[in-house]
Amino acid sequence: MKIKFKIRRYNPAEAETAEPYIQAYMLDVPEGMTVLEALLNIVDDQDPTLSFRKSCRSAICGSCAVSINGFSKLACNTQVIPEYKKAGEMLIEPLANHTPLKDLIVDFAPFWRKMEKVAPYLTPEEGAPTMAVTPKDEERVDRSQRCVMCGCCNAECNSMAIDEKYIAPAALAKAWRIVGDVREGNAKKRLERLSEEHGMWDCVRCVHCTQYCPKDVSPLKAIEELRSAAMKEGITDNPGAKHVEAMKDSVERFGRLDEAAMTFKTLGFLRSLGMIPFGLRMEKHGKLPRPHIFAQIEDLDEVKKIYEEAERRAEAEKKEMESRKKG
Amino acid sequence: MTKEANATTRLVCKKLGIGLHDMPKANCCGAGLLTDYDYQLYLALNARIFAEAEAMGMDIMTICSTCLMVMSTANRDLLADPKLLEKTNEILATAGLRYNGTIKIKQLLWVLAGDYGLDNLKKKVVKPLNWIKAAPFYGCHSLRPSDALGFDDPERPWSLDAVIEALGGEAVQYKGKTKCCGFQVDLVVAETAEKMTATRLLDGKEKGANAFVTPCPFCHINLDNYQGLAEKRASQKIAMPVFHLSQLVGLSLGLTAEEMGLSRHLVSPEKILK
Repeated sequence: MKIKFKIRRYNPAEAETAEPYIQAYMLDVPEGMTVLEALLNIVDDQDPTLSFRKSCRSAICGSCAVSINGFSKLACNTQVIPEYKKAGEMLIEPLANHTPLKDLIVDFAPFWRKMEKVAPYLTPEEGAPTMAVTPKDEERVDRSQRCVMCGCCNAECNSMAIDEKYIAPAALAKAWRIVGDVREGNAKKRLERLSEEHGMWDCVRCVHCTQYCPKDVSPLKAIEELRSAAMKEGITDNPGAKHVEAMKDSVERFGRLDEAAMTFKTLGFLRSLGMIPFGLRMEKHGKLPRPHIFAQIEDLDEVKKIYEEAERRAEAEKKEMESRKKG
Repeated sequence: MTKEANATTRLVCKKLGIGLHDMPKANCCGAGLLTDYDYQLYLALNARIFAEAEAMGMDIMTICSTCLMVMSTANRDLLADPKLLEKTNEILATAGLRYNGTIKIKQLLWVLAGDYGLDNLKKKVVKPLNWIKAAPFYGCHSLRPSDALGFDDPERPWSLDAVIEALGGEAVQYKGKTKCCGFQVDLVVAETAEKMTATRLLDGKEKGANAFVTPCPFCHINLDNYQGLAEKRASQKIAMPVFHLSQLVGLSLGLTAEEMGLSRHLVSPEKILK
């Protein structure tokens, strides 16, 4: 099948290529050919100046992530023909949310800096008793261990697209690999740092990271685990955690979301005052939420029983872990 | 904040002959925040909703994309792992409940584009929406994670586009249609949320949209309610009316602007209505 490859190119070293442009290449694509094989073909037969990263060709090294028809994928495990049939074209660009250096090669230095920020290595407490890592312990962090650092998640991250300082999903998935490890001695300190500005509470839950991870790491799941762990450690003096607490209280008391209380509890008294002019505008359209007073659902006692039982179990698990850690 | 989404869905479904049955016991799904609090509690509370639907002998339809995603993800996890389902049922048992794993979860958009069918919908249109150039705003949780949702294509979604066209409108193509409105961090990182909302609206506007339409009430809150804040953040006027999916369907079925609660919107759609 003859397919036109449109590739975004850029080479700041030459005046005429210093602005990004699209170059087209025609290629005869057999069934099963991957995007990476196609790129290698183009370099071999048509244009040796086309630049991109690659190494293992089997989705292990994480080098060849590019944007294919607008979405971040590994070139080596994406087949051309199904992709072309779905999109009606074959457009290959450098990863979004990253600065191109040349053609499809992007600057990974910011990616590594984010990774370094979470200190991606275990720091056991000195003198702590040795502790067996059970299969169940390993399962908790297993998905985070699969990361090949390809950058697809960060490239898709909607929060990072707005705020480049955001720590972003790749480093957060790695952070959970460490925080969730039973041998880690500084989990609480790490969670405190992750709760700061541009940290884990800036995730907008757009689910792009999880959808486009080629290794099924599910960074969103790691972010949820980190947030839960922080709540359980009592690190709640920040808007993200207060927002979660407000939801937890609201569902427990009323069975439903109390929009008025959510705003007040998350923002606190002073910042809520700042919302008054805006609130008045909403009130004009009948949109200002009223706080709940009574239960909003039938059989609320069931909800309360579920809370009690789930919290009893969470407490028991926490105690068990503490006693294991003491040896 | 978006009571009109509820009220207009009821009117539209009645008009189309889609039977809705209230779930008076249903608790809040947690909107992802309960997942952040405690995963097991989140599963149990969602399973309580499923148990009610099971007792009614029906599947669940929601008018919120986030409810859809949160419930579907819980259901996926429970069905994939019998041990997890059992553990969750042990918690439910303290409230005298049990979930057997038989429920499907849908949203209004899917019911219209799938179960009801576009051809049937077209037949009911009495006032084709030939005045609208709508930017379809799917919202994250109608599309991702696709392994839990499974109806539409997360990269090239078609359902909302198809419904707009079935109603006689034009669906405008723009990059932001699969992206996020920022709702989840409105109260946490307002700057990110407002910039994100502005980016989406300006993207659609630049591609010629005279309105946005969304199947998600949270997206509606950001796109309409908080558009003023987004404008401030972007230092420019956007003035983009935003419809709930149900309102657009209602208008095409001949229901009035008043019945569709359009005066509740902060950005008035009056100028473009015909």
